[in-house]
Amino acid sequence: MTILPDWLTDNNDCRELKAMLRNRSPESLETMAARSRAMTLRRFGRTMPLYAPLYLSNYCSSGCAYCGFASDRTTPRRKLDEEEIRREIAAMKQLGIQDILLLTGERTAAVGFEYLKRAVDIAAESMQRVTVEAFPMSVEEYRELAGSGCTGITIYQETYDLLQYEALHRWGPKKDYLYRLATPERALEGGIKTIGLGVLFGLSDPVTDALMLYRHARHLEKTYWRGGISISFPRLRPQTGGYEPTYPVDDHLLARIILAFRIAMPDVELVLSTREKPSFRDGMAGLAITRMSIASRTTVGGYLEGESSGEGQFEISDSRTAEEFCQALRSRRIEPVFKNWEPAYNGPSRNTLPCS
Amino acid sequence: MDHLQLAAHTFSSRLILGTGKFSSAAVMLEAVKASGAQLVTVALRRFNREQLEDDLFGPLSELPGITLMPNTSGASTAAEAIKAANISRELSGSPFIKVEIHPNPQHLMPDPIETMEAARVLASEGFLVMPYISPDPVLAKRLEEVGCASVMPLGSAIGSGQGLASAAMLSIIIRESSIPVIVDAGLRAPSEAARAMEMGCSAVLVNSAIAASDNPAEMAAAFRDSTDAGRRAFKAGLMRESREAVATSPLTSFLGEQS
Repeated sequence: MTILPDWLTDNNDCRELKAMLRNRSPESLETMAARSRAMTLRRFGRTMPLYAPLYLSNYCSSGCAYCGFASDRTTPRRKLDEEEIRREIAAMKQLGIQDILLLTGERTAAVGFEYLKRAVDIAAESMQRVTVEAFPMSVEEYRELAGSGCTGITIYQETYDLLQYEALHRWGPKKDYLYRLATPERALEGGIKTIGLGVLFGLSDPVTDALMLYRHARHLEKTYWRGGISISFPRLRPQTGGYEPTYPVDDHLLARIILAFRIAMPDVELVLSTREKPSFRDGMAGLAITRMSIASRTTVGGYLEGESSGEGQFEISDSRTAEEFCQALRSRRIEPVFKNWEPAYNGPSRNTLPCS
Repeated sequence: MDHLQLAAHTFSSRLILGTGKFSSAAVMLEAVKASGAQLVTVALRRFNREQLEDDLFGPLSELPGITLMPNTSGASTAAEAIKAANISRELSGSPFIKVEIHPNPQHLMPDPIETMEAARVLASEGFLVMPYISPDPVLAKRLEEVGCASVMPLGSAIGSGQGLASAAMLSIIIRESSIPVIVDAGLRAPSEAARAMEMGCSAVLVNSAIAASDNPAEMAAAFRDSTDAGRRAFKAGLMRESREAVATSPLTSFLGEQS
């Protein structure tokens, strides 16, 4: 039987967040927006660091019911070879991208650690900042990735609802809830500087998931005090697999969740991807969000070959070009920032031991 | 003339600007001009040689009368800061380095131990070291001992707008220090800059309060004036506050009594 750690279910630290999420009045949303906007402006100013994802491969060994890349889908499988990775990165650099997120599915024979590490090495040759969203790894593997120039790991629990988690992750390594839950800690112990957390809204009760996500972030902050935390807010979109969200989250609720996180965690980076439509992205940019993806392709090889509809991991709702999106930010008096990191700061950080 | 003296460099302005949070490079440059600042700080991570429209260093370096002080924001250890300082000097040619080491990227509080180590090494290598620190009077003296050009204690947390929350500790640092004390971070209103200067700070560094304003150039000018006003008041000498009631029967009338 899986037993959740106490810090994940402790109610003491999140009463204000809970109150903000439970109150659904339009007036309270406006009040929260005003507060969140002022807090974001004060702490982060009028700038927006930008990044873009590069899908290295869509091979996968897991059976996530909601994912277009799950191993039982008929999606054609492909991985980029070294030459293709270089060409995709060159195409991304043409768009101005200097901060890259490398993605793969769960570990397979075709796409494992050595392949991923090589991809990080290649990306670090020309990108200013390299982060990874792939499979859970060991402390030693994370230390090697940090040494290659990977500064951040994104690893979503998808849902913190144990029963839903076990039902949705039908087979494969991702089925182990606690192993995935402990992944950010292994990454921080391995010297990765920043951890991206998130749930995939739509899989379970959004308020419960948001509260547990918050507790997870707070636990990491307290235990690994050097660790950077960022939180993303992906929402289930139409997938290649055709999965319908059981707990759909509308724009108002998603906005409420994001604003509540800003208020509850004033210094934490909040991220929004191109899964969301332009009006939502632009609006949230001024209110709470402090890091965004841009000009994204979610198919393997998508930057050079263009995106073929229905084959990406999810459908993109904001398909504006880099220039169009930057223009939209500027019209809101927000400066798009392509380089917000310095490779001189790369290498494993000192997160070797947790504070007990 | 009343100048800010940092090692062999003199500045008539005592307002230093941060450049990182503005809505565009153009707005930032306007604010710098309006502020009258002669010293501005720019993060090495915002130097962008590949993409000039994303670069903060280039446009600043073309402004006449401006000395650049690169900073190491993003570094979390002394080793990273030392590496960044060397790259910054190579790229900018500036002898100044604002040592900023915050191991926790959330609250951005400076690490005193790493800062001390980086300052010691960089000062010995000839940098004009300007360390961003918590308002710790002992740390300030230790940094002075290793040859820093100034100390830059925080007024309050970066981006908090809580002003001179650390005033009591700052006043000890100012009283004890033989190098310029520059309040860095936390200032929200021009009146707080004036107060820091009245207390005897040598200069103030402001970023968020100007960048987040609806009219950055106007706010920069307001900080220029208030910094100047505070300095003039300090030089003129503030009237002492009356803290004690005067007793109606003199307390010292016994002095001079014969027996």
